[in-house]
Amino acid sequence: MTPEPVTQGDLSPPILGWSQSAIIGATSAEVSRALTGLRGNLIRLGLPEDALIRLELVLAEIMNNIVEHAYAGADSGDMTLEASVHGRAIWCHLRDKGRAMPGGKLPCPRRYDLDAMRMDDLPEGGFGWGLIHDLTQGLSYRRVAEENHVRFRIDLDS
Amino acid sequence: MEMSLQPQGAVSVLRVGNDRIDAAIAIQFKDRFRDITADVAGPVVLDLGRVTFLDSSGLGAVVAARKLLGPDRALELAALSPAVEKVMQLTRMNTVFPIHDTVADALTAHGVAPAA
Repeated sequence: MTPEPVTQGDLSPPILGWSQSAIIGATSAEVSRALTGLRGNLIRLGLPEDALIRLELVLAEIMNNIVEHAYAGADSGDMTLEASVHGRAIWCHLRDKGRAMPGGKLPCPRRYDLDAMRMDDLPEGGFGWGLIHDLTQGLSYRRVAEENHVRFRIDLDS
Repeated sequence: MEMSLQPQGAVSVLRVGNDRIDAAIAIQFKDRFRDITADVAGPVVLDLGRVTFLDSSGLGAVVAARKLLGPDRALELAALSPAVEKVMQLTRMNTVFPIHDTVADALTAHGVAPAA
């Protein structure tokens, strides 16, 4: 189904140790541009397509959450994304200087019973945290020194 | 937002020309969809063949588009890329929208012979 990554030996792909750090302006357009660039870089590393799909979706949801909530009402702001590939996983760490998560915790996923809904009641939002929880491993949030830190990993083989 | 409408018999095929429907473009998608379908009477098939990325904001815009058409006009999706299909499955929106592998399949389902 997904293309096999080019591997050296049994477990470690040649991208072992690859890492990237980027500062991204807190606008949806900048997020879009950053994700397009990251996807290009990771495709060239030969990572499995399904892992890249999961990564891009999770990053889009978390980063746009930062734009829309952490920096809501702010004139400007930015976030830092550190991504690295090792141990058959993509490890990510996002930090921003915006407002803390409500209650100092990650929001709970919202689940909808679509079968019971009329068309006019279908949700037009609120999917983000469900997707983030479903597609990541080791998801964590900490508020340290006026900064939000979200960490997670995407396993290449899950 | 690049979107073009092509009538095929009773069906209108709406082709999205952008490769992403995400938070940066969701509002434009909704506005353009509203304008372009204003005078459409029958079912609309949204051709997503060019779209390689859809996030929850983009999905919200597609749901909003569905509501704009109202109960008398169908909105069906065609030619989903793996990333778009994944979002539809995870959110279970694939149970809300009829989904076709190709635009030709969508037309056939409506009894319209696809143009050669």
